[in-house]
Amino acid sequence: MPLDPNTVSTYREERLLLHHQHKHPIGSRRRRAAIQSSDNVPFEQIPYQCFQEARKVLAEDREEKLAQIALMRKRIATWQAIPQEEIGVARKKGRLVAMQKHLEHLKILADVNDPVIKKRFEDGMAWVGEWNADDLRMMAGDMNRPIYRYLADRKWRKYARLVLMQRISQFHIVPDVLQHLDPTASVTLGFQRRNVQPGEFVDSRVSEVPARLNVQVYDKGERLVTIVVVNPDVPDIESDSFSSRCHFLAVNVPVSPTKSSVPLAHLKRDDHIVQPWLPPFAQKGSPYQRLVVLVLQQDGSEPLDLARLKTLAPRRDAWNTNRFLAHNKATPIGATLFRTVWDDGTDGVMARAGVEGVEQELVRKRPEKNPYKKKDGSRYR
Amino acid sequence: MPPRITQLAMRPRPPPSLSFTPALPFLYPPTHHHHHPLPSITTTQSRPASHAAQGRANKAAPGPGKRLGAKRGATELVVPGTIIFRQRGTHWFPGENAGMGRDHTIFAKEKGYVCFYKDRWRGVGYRGAGRVGARDGSGVQWRKYIGIVFERGGTLPRPVGAKRMRRLGMEVREREEGEGMASAAAAGVVEDAGALVRGQTMREREAVPRSRPELKMSQGYQFRESNWSIGRAAERANVKVRNFKPGDRFLAWRKRTARKARVVEAKSMKSRKARQAKGSKNK
Repeated sequence: MPLDPNTVSTYREERLLLHHQHKHPIGSRRRRAAIQSSDNVPFEQIPYQCFQEARKVLAEDREEKLAQIALMRKRIATWQAIPQEEIGVARKKGRLVAMQKHLEHLKILADVNDPVIKKRFEDGMAWVGEWNADDLRMMAGDMNRPIYRYLADRKWRKYARLVLMQRISQFHIVPDVLQHLDPTASVTLGFQRRNVQPGEFVDSRVSEVPARLNVQVYDKGERLVTIVVVNPDVPDIESDSFSSRCHFLAVNVPVSPTKSSVPLAHLKRDDHIVQPWLPPFAQKGSPYQRLVVLVLQQDGSEPLDLARLKTLAPRRDAWNTNRFLAHNKATPIGATLFRTVWDDGTDGVMARAGVEGVEQELVRKRPEKNPYKKKDGSRYR
Repeated sequence: MPPRITQLAMRPRPPPSLSFTPALPFLYPPTHHHHHPLPSITTTQSRPASHAAQGRANKAAPGPGKRLGAKRGATELVVPGTIIFRQRGTHWFPGENAGMGRDHTIFAKEKGYVCFYKDRWRGVGYRGAGRVGARDGSGVQWRKYIGIVFERGGTLPRPVGAKRMRRLGMEVREREEGEGMASAAAAGVVEDAGALVRGQTMREREAVPRSRPELKMSQGYQFRESNWSIGRAAERANVKVRNFKPGDRFLAWRKRTARKARVVEAKSMKSRKARQAKGSKNK
């Protein structure tokens, strides 16, 4: 008997569904289990008069909003037709921008109270925050619609973004890496099967392979992004301070609301990669090192010139993110981070990556003596 | 202070000032003060104490001073660990290269010169990391900080967006493990087994390990076999377990029957033993 992807709720059934029918279960397991025991009556047939009356009110409101949307579209067309000489460039542009903004707002208002949309979103059609390939797949169809983008953004800002902001603040990503950062896209990070929360320590063997990213943007349209992985904690013995190193640099990566998965290992070397993945490593004894993953939106109309970047070859060492932003017209839209310390696997990782310095370790300098001279101890006896 | 109250009660109320002429004379009935400079004491007024004069309420005697306050002044040279300020609560916060102890004591984390300064604080997520409205003037809270600068005459706070001043404070030396470790690492065999082993085929990974691996110090300072190795002990001992096949009722029936037979056997042994014991007792 074929299994229903809507109702499978045990590991075994899920596995069978995947293996034999090549289908992914839909939504959360909790939802699927609930559907099994519910009558699953569609909203139109729910036999409560009050509920149906409320639906009518909402439908009426939606009709109203749709009429407003049509009106606003007509007005925008009218304004676009007016020649600039009559009203001035600035006035026309300002007016059009304001009207477009209002139009987008109306689109949200038209759908935000729809119980079906709310149900679909809460059932995991557009779930954001956890790595679940099925959810991402389901989401792909929906994130074209403004309402689902809006709901997903709101959900992200309610928890995941707050955590991210806390980590960015506590780990001093601002100002050590960037001068200012206002994330508008959620960036989640993982290595093979291991998901990484912002700021987590990652075993050096795990982070030896390129990370896989999920860059979820919440505004419409495809754009090109640059992805940088920076380590701002490289010990610099000469200056008795820290320098920064670029562990990965890829440019012109297309990202859109429906196309969020960016496995760094699958990016084409000839199309995107300026600096291939250098596994994070921390020499024995050195303090933990932060690895910051930055997603920079390219603002220029043209894609960045890969060949030029390769010849200029911003060396891995002495990397400066602010300089890159200034030279290449880009804005940071998302970030995440993880940490690395010396562990059992670091020697092997360094050897395989051809990094020197395995046989050395860092030790704390002898503690400073108090500059205020203390009198001879024997005087106090 | 009861005595003072008594005196007040004895003294007559002073007449209203002469410059003020009352417009409504009936409010001020004629008094005989002028005729009798010392009035006789007719009623003794007293006020009950609103605060106990003795006992528990007044016990909060000032204890010994806690020697709070600044221990180092601005621009003074300090070394790591030097206490700069002792306080109750956070009158001062730790700034750059300073730390705060369990009792809010501010101490130096690096060698440098003390700097007392004010900086704005908008909660976690500020310093440029975009809170909504972080760039307008709303929600600004100024805090007092104590920080350490590395150069004499340096100032804090740093300009907005400038990197923190940090010091490594470490030096390089050769590792004690010696040459063997380095050459092993160069050959790529330092990898400890059990973790994600790269460069191995699936077949190599699944091959039965020949012997128990060397004991390594794990968490908690104990030398013990790792869990993955314990898990493969059966494979090393050539113990084969039949794969569980869900729905194999024939096997289930055989097992059940065998178990029942075992139980019957055990019971019969038990009763036989009991009988023998009884017999021996009777003898």
